[in-house]
Amino acid sequence: MASVLWFQGGACSGNTMSFLNATEPNVVDLITDFGLDLLWHPSLGLELGHNAQKLFWDCVHGVRPLDIFILEGTVIKGPYGSGRFDMFADRPMKDWVADLATAAQIVVAIGDCASWGGIPATAPNPSDSTGLQFHKRERGGFLGANFRSKMGLPVINIPGCPAHPDWITQIIVALATGRAGDIALDELHRPQTFFKTFTQTGCTRVQYFEYKQGTASFGEGTRKGCLFYEFGCRGPMTHSPCNRILWNRQSSKTRAGMPCTGCTEPEYPFFDLAPGTVFKTQKVSGVVPKEVPEGNDHLTYMAHAAAARIAAPQWSKEDMFVV
Amino acid sequence: MPAIDLFVSPLGRVEGDLDVRVTVEDGIVTSAWTEAAMFRGFEMILKGKDPQAGLIVTPRICGICGGSHLYKAAYALDVAWRTQVPPNATLIRNIGQACETMQSIPRYFYALFAIDLTNKNYARSPLYDEAVRRFAPYVGTSYAPAVVLSSKPVEIYAIFGGQWPHSSFMVPGGVMCAPTLSDVTRSIAVLENWRNNWLEKQWLGCSVERWLDNRTWADVLTWVNENESQYNSDCGFFIRYCMDIGLDSYGAGVGNYLATGTYFEPSMYEHPTIDGRNSALICRSGVYVDGRWWEFDQARVREDVTHSFYRGTKARHPFEGETRPIDPEAGRRQGKYSWAKSPRYEVPGLGYIPLEAGPLARRIAAGAPNAAPFQDYDPLFVDMVEKIGSSVMVRQLARMHEASKYYTWTRGWLDQLDLHETFYVKPVEHESGRGFGSTEAARGSLSDWIVIEDGKIANYQVVTPTAWNIGPRDGAQLLGPIEQALVGSPVLDPEDPVEVGHVARSFDSCLVCTVHAYDGKTGRELSKFVVNGAV
Repeated sequence: MASVLWFQGGACSGNTMSFLNATEPNVVDLITDFGLDLLWHPSLGLELGHNAQKLFWDCVHGVRPLDIFILEGTVIKGPYGSGRFDMFADRPMKDWVADLATAAQIVVAIGDCASWGGIPATAPNPSDSTGLQFHKRERGGFLGANFRSKMGLPVINIPGCPAHPDWITQIIVALATGRAGDIALDELHRPQTFFKTFTQTGCTRVQYFEYKQGTASFGEGTRKGCLFYEFGCRGPMTHSPCNRILWNRQSSKTRAGMPCTGCTEPEYPFFDLAPGTVFKTQKVSGVVPKEVPEGNDHLTYMAHAAAARIAAPQWSKEDMFVV
Repeated sequence: MPAIDLFVSPLGRVEGDLDVRVTVEDGIVTSAWTEAAMFRGFEMILKGKDPQAGLIVTPRICGICGGSHLYKAAYALDVAWRTQVPPNATLIRNIGQACETMQSIPRYFYALFAIDLTNKNYARSPLYDEAVRRFAPYVGTSYAPAVVLSSKPVEIYAIFGGQWPHSSFMVPGGVMCAPTLSDVTRSIAVLENWRNNWLEKQWLGCSVERWLDNRTWADVLTWVNENESQYNSDCGFFIRYCMDIGLDSYGAGVGNYLATGTYFEPSMYEHPTIDGRNSALICRSGVYVDGRWWEFDQARVREDVTHSFYRGTKARHPFEGETRPIDPEAGRRQGKYSWAKSPRYEVPGLGYIPLEAGPLARRIAAGAPNAAPFQDYDPLFVDMVEKIGSSVMVRQLARMHEASKYYTWTRGWLDQLDLHETFYVKPVEHESGRGFGSTEAARGSLSDWIVIEDGKIANYQVVTPTAWNIGPRDGAQLLGPIEQALVGSPVLDPEDPVEVGHVARSFDSCLVCTVHAYDGKTGRELSKFVVNGAV
């Protein structure tokens, strides 16, 4: 049985809501079948006020062994490093986070905010938010680059805005069943089992991408074409299994015609949402995508694209997703 | 008996953390302070950004009602850019908004609210054992299936929007998707699965149609006793249990209500404007004060920051709104105690007053006369409030009632989709403009005011249902709706003030919407229950 404490810092509860959509295991299974001992959670916790505070302090002092400490949301440091922009159970949340991260065997950041600051850390970062062990792509964050939990692990980042419920539950089950050693992390501390592949891996539009056929317009246009060329889709540059493990068991943003915004990467939201950057591909001289698929350079990309367009069969210029 | 100050921090299970301070005298709450204690500054982040940034940023204000944030952010841009929204897009947006709410209704009820019905303070009730059997967390016979099935309606959201939470698929001019036949048929199947397995089998014990036949409180009481299936359904049981443990007797609130309405009749809102909004709504808007209905007018909204941790003294309209945070420690010295602003609404002759937002407010608006044929007219909750008054129970029933309504409407919208027509009309991205977009999140009125200048956001203000309900006192010292609702609540056991939780949670406030809470009048930090001789 693994004990879990789940806190929210500068959070929207989106990861919690995502987690509640989980199946196999669902939240009830996790607790009744996998014996997960959810000590407290902001939405699911039973204890209030005084009793809840005692439980938190018992974890801090080691009276209650804490196996997994999960943080959702940013660590808020403002104003002036005091953390008073986010008070929780009688003290700045950042102080709880520091104490509990030290007390826990394993620390898990769920969602972009806890991983690297996410949207609250977007300029001008009014709350002085940061992630647990990264600030955007920079190592350090709140706990510092050298932080290791009691089990000797860095913070495990499960990014995404929100994280998919499977990414959360499978890692929790792995940790709870003694498979922490099997979790290979990438350089951003993301479990490679989920984040080695690209968002584009498994995208239903990938054949349009193969022949460089772009979507012309939202709505009816999304019945054909790839969203990379005009709508700023980051599928080829973003690491996630969104098209391998579908959302809500049904679909993904790119399948439904929405460009990937790159929300599992630390730069999200990209370009700090500057004017002209939302749902629009950034281009060089109005034609060539400024960013090309990972591992390409502009010259080889253009050569490949030219060849692909010549090779494009007629069906790649027509609707594939039809009534 | 001396007055007791109870400080409950964290209250928990209100989606985010709510700290509540109440003064209790002779077992009754005599005053209350609700304190939102977390600040992220989304409105500051949006300033100077791409006009469409709100489509990405505002859903992240609250992951519980992210689809609602997206819905009103898209309409704010539609108004500002003077777009055309084709009927198919209006239908898809309606479906998305409704599916998010249908997810929220059972998830909120079982996971956040009903757990407290198993509190040991109610052990003397003859229905207590049954309440525990049904509602105990994780193992309750109703808890587990309802919480698991709550993820069904948002599968439909994912079919059209890619994922829930946090898609940004509604854009000015329509929606990004162009569904195929199987998207629609699968959505219908998922919706019917949810209706069969949760709404009718577990919650109602009867058909949706039978429940919607109830037009008065007397009808509801007859319904409960009509047959065993209804009597023993979760709804039938909930009504009986509420009346046994007294949840029908406190938590009334300010008694004045605000609904900005939601769901547009496709043919009535192809060219979204502020002026054309009210008459295009299916789920109507309306302000109800002292027994009288008024038409909702966004120009009458103000945000007061007298007791909020922001600079500024004057109550401002959101188009001129400011968000200038101060260190809460300095704020406390000025009598401020919350990160929530205090939204107020000007009623002619009464000045700026606090209004309750949420499902009960929507149900009261639905009881107003003169509904157009396509608009919701439903007298049930006006009758209930007239007959038995507002309470924790009535507020909950209003929320649950909407499950049947929204199911029915969503099914109709799915049937209306014309797969051979367009879902998007590309708009002109004007360099400047002003827009107002609004909807009803599960927990109440949610609105955006956007000002675009020189192709970027010059001002962006969001007023959430949580702010309407949980906002602190205003400059006139008028209590916010939850504060007011807490006054008069019994507290049987100061060590376990479950009643305070019932009242606060009956508003289903997503605190993360506005963000959290802290101390009040004295400025003292009370870490636990503190007995205070004279308040």
